[in-house]
Amino acid sequence: MNVDALLDQFRTDLAAADTPAALEEVRRLHTGKKSPIKSAFKELRSVAPEERSTVAAALNQASQTIATELDTATATVAAKALSAQLNAEWQDLSMPGQATRRGARHPLTEVENKCMDVLRRLGFELVDGPEIDAAYYNFDALNIPEHHPARDMQDTFWVTGGLLLRSHTTTVQARVLESQPQLPIRIASAGRVYRNEAVDATHLAMFHQFEGLWIDKGLTFANLKGLLSFIAKSLYGEGRIRFKPKFYPYTEPSVGVDLACALCDGVGCEACHGAGWVTILGAGMVHPKVFREFGYDPDEVTGIAFGLGTTRMAAQWAGVGKVKSLYDQELAVLHDLHRPPVGGAQ
Amino acid sequence: MKINASVLNRFVGLPSEARDLRDLLDDIGLEVKRHDVATGKMTLELLANRGDHHCYLGLAREISGRTGDATCSPSWSELDIGESPHPLNITTDLCSLYSATLIERESTETPLTPDELAPLDAAEIHSVNPPVDATNLANLEFGQPTHCFDADKINGPISIRLSVAGETAWPLFAEERVEVPAGSIVIADDEKILAIAGVIGCEESKATENTTRILLESAAFDPVAVRKASRALSIHTDSSARFERGSDPSQVLVGAGRVVHVLEGHGWKRKGATGVVGQWKDEERTIGLKTAAAAAFLDHPLDDTEITDRLNRYGFSVAGSNGDLSVRVPPHRVWDVEFAADLYEELAKSIGYNVTATNLPPVDMGALPSHSDAVKMKVEEVLLGAGFYEVFTNGFHGTALREKLGIDDQHPLWSHVETTNALDRGYGLVKNNCLAQAVEAVAGNVRMGTRPIQMYEWTRTFHPNAAAPNGVCTETHRLWAIADGSVETDRWAGTPRQSTAWRMKGMVEEIGTALGLDLRISPSESTHPLSDCIHPGRQAQVTLNGAIVGIIGEVHPRITKAFKLKRARPVYMEIERDALLNQSTPTRYAERSVHQPIMRSLAFSLPAKVTAGEVADFLLERGPEWLEAVDIVDLFEHEEDGQPMRAITFALRYGNAQGDRSADAVNQASEELIAAVADTFGPRGVSLRA
Repeated sequence: MNVDALLDQFRTDLAAADTPAALEEVRRLHTGKKSPIKSAFKELRSVAPEERSTVAAALNQASQTIATELDTATATVAAKALSAQLNAEWQDLSMPGQATRRGARHPLTEVENKCMDVLRRLGFELVDGPEIDAAYYNFDALNIPEHHPARDMQDTFWVTGGLLLRSHTTTVQARVLESQPQLPIRIASAGRVYRNEAVDATHLAMFHQFEGLWIDKGLTFANLKGLLSFIAKSLYGEGRIRFKPKFYPYTEPSVGVDLACALCDGVGCEACHGAGWVTILGAGMVHPKVFREFGYDPDEVTGIAFGLGTTRMAAQWAGVGKVKSLYDQELAVLHDLHRPPVGGAQ
Repeated sequence: MKINASVLNRFVGLPSEARDLRDLLDDIGLEVKRHDVATGKMTLELLANRGDHHCYLGLAREISGRTGDATCSPSWSELDIGESPHPLNITTDLCSLYSATLIERESTETPLTPDELAPLDAAEIHSVNPPVDATNLANLEFGQPTHCFDADKINGPISIRLSVAGETAWPLFAEERVEVPAGSIVIADDEKILAIAGVIGCEESKATENTTRILLESAAFDPVAVRKASRALSIHTDSSARFERGSDPSQVLVGAGRVVHVLEGHGWKRKGATGVVGQWKDEERTIGLKTAAAAAFLDHPLDDTEITDRLNRYGFSVAGSNGDLSVRVPPHRVWDVEFAADLYEELAKSIGYNVTATNLPPVDMGALPSHSDAVKMKVEEVLLGAGFYEVFTNGFHGTALREKLGIDDQHPLWSHVETTNALDRGYGLVKNNCLAQAVEAVAGNVRMGTRPIQMYEWTRTFHPNAAAPNGVCTETHRLWAIADGSVETDRWAGTPRQSTAWRMKGMVEEIGTALGLDLRISPSESTHPLSDCIHPGRQAQVTLNGAIVGIIGEVHPRITKAFKLKRARPVYMEIERDALLNQSTPTRYAERSVHQPIMRSLAFSLPAKVTAGEVADFLLERGPEWLEAVDIVDLFEHEEDGQPMRAITFALRYGNAQGDRSADAVNQASEELIAAVADTFGPRGVSLRA
């Protein structure tokens, strides 16, 4: 019984097996019931008793060697096969991704949502009103009587029937005050407003506003400033702000809020045309005449009104120089506002 | 207003540093829009209600209110009031004060000095001749418009009266006579109108270089009357701008005196007394002011003394004590100061808007998004996830866009609310539909080569309705979406999916699912106003609880052609927003059986006009109770006997809750359904596909 010859034959066959199937065949040939080593074990009975233990030990050793080398070879061949599979399955992932590309809200809506996120923390609710409205809600009730110069500030689209396309969302405030809800009133209104102007890159006949109204007993000028500071810092961060006198017919006192130019911090530079500041908010304490118009006693009730030019905010935040392009339904522009320019492989 | 800082410095002390000056002016509401430090020229944006700011003295007073520095005024001549050089006859109370002063050339006329002309130079007013320059100077310095007539061109007494219908005048710089709106204040002699009061003088009485006798007018006119005349004639002057904002009658004689003073230094001499007519007298308006209330409002410590000091600087006089004050409003502020709140503003400006306290009021609780806000967000998540971009379109359009819809005057979309004064023809019609602008937007993007095109908008349409609460129209909130071309971007393998009416249907179904609403899309004949703007064979109405709330479909080829879209086949969807605000029906989860349902497929050939939906509904209705669902899973289009046919495969899901449903029972049920379809739909050409 030549155990070495048996191992030699196994190793010769093993060396020739380079696929999982060939290995299985080698395993069957050299470890199966009819394999030489199994036959050799059966022939042990015919070996002289004094040699039997030595031969048996050699056969056990050979059997162990075959099993070990088979396992090793199996692992090697499997690794090669896997490697070959992986190489064959290579994909060029520099090719563009294939998921459905998500669309995007308009920058104006994003600005409105940001504003509402801030105001909801203070209990404000968004309310709506008509876009075609009576001059009463757009002007008269807001302390802008006929022939008042303030009407020139808002060139108006008049429509059939003596109504108008609202020139500001303050009409919504007027309607809310008219309904005399329970105090405190904390409402915001947002939407389209119309101005009868010649349209160019920076002037639109339709644009968007966002306004808020807070009515309660005992609100003060300090509260107005506190609210405006909160809004400004929530929307624009911790940059410097300043308050300045303004005129709005429906508030008294009226306030403008400026944000320090991000580039020069209020010193004045080319980007801000030397002003150093950019106006972001208009506001004021609700005018006594407006309160009286709707049956409130201005000695009892005070109010804060404020407005944001969301069209300009959207343009500023999006880096759009010409606000008209926000209203041109150009999908290429809207796409580029939300996605980086297409370049090479990512 | 364009000014020169060095001139302003003659009236009140100013900071020496340019930045400090700019900050000061911004801080008191005289916003600096431009400042040329080298020349001192500045452009200020004035508050619209502050007519008194339209002169150097007014600006100086405002600065003084903050700094406390005293103001200085230029010299003027005290005028003797007496018999007018021309008889004055006033018949309207819209002129509260009118003065006339005669000035004659006495020696060689000399031009105004550069110092005197500096305010005109800053305001970009060209020097004309000494009389005209002097009136412009007085207006810039004191805010009192004045006007020089050639006294020798006046015939008879001067009337200050209202114009009558058909009356004409020849305004300065006009090429011909114009009709003066009836009811305007005019200055006239026996023959002609000399001036349209507060707006402009007239050619026939104007002073020229040959004029030797000037009648100087200085007056106070009603703001609304001046404004009406100015607008009606489309003539806007420095004078009208000043009067429209409310002038100060107490400055009438001061302004005239300043003109006289200047001209007397340049070869002219006042002759005789100044005639004055009019009913004006200081109304001596007073406003009660509680010191404690002012301090509380501003959250700033104040006492009577400080309030008195600060208000005095602006020209107010204050009486009273122990926190109970009475504030008298000066004539130059009667136009904008009526309430205690107006005085709070003065105090806040004097102290500084950035000095008073800043306190956020306490808030007990925040607010959640409203139902309407939440619905909007849910709908948007569906659209955004499918690749749609939000856009905004105008609220109006022109008749040209309506024509592209190819509708006639009997069509429900023909009638619009119309704008009556639009500057642009494109804004003549307030929109009553969204489709036209949506297709226009597609056309714009196609021209730009943009792909894919998928957009949506929340907007409103306006519908003439005399029975509406406003007597004119109703407004309807709508959601629309439009898509054209490939759905997917960056598609480099396989055939990209295209936008079809089916996809739009899927969008509506997904919106319904997101909102828990049973939005149904039925291809039956629609009564939606847009129905005949949509391809008749590729449209369906959207219903909710039996009511039509929207429409989907492919845009009618007639309309795509009108928009010059050659290959585009946009598909459109529109739903009324209020329908989406309906309360959702919560989904009820039914426990699934541990046993698999039994599936069977049936394929039928359907000719045109027999819809797969009605066959599916029929199968579900006629099947046994344990037929849980019928889904359409395949379409194969082919021809049979030259007729287009569709082979539709229906997947039938038979329930097997207890696990004891036999294949024989399922097969038997399927056979019965095949027979029922043959009976019902066979006459319409439906057959089982082998």
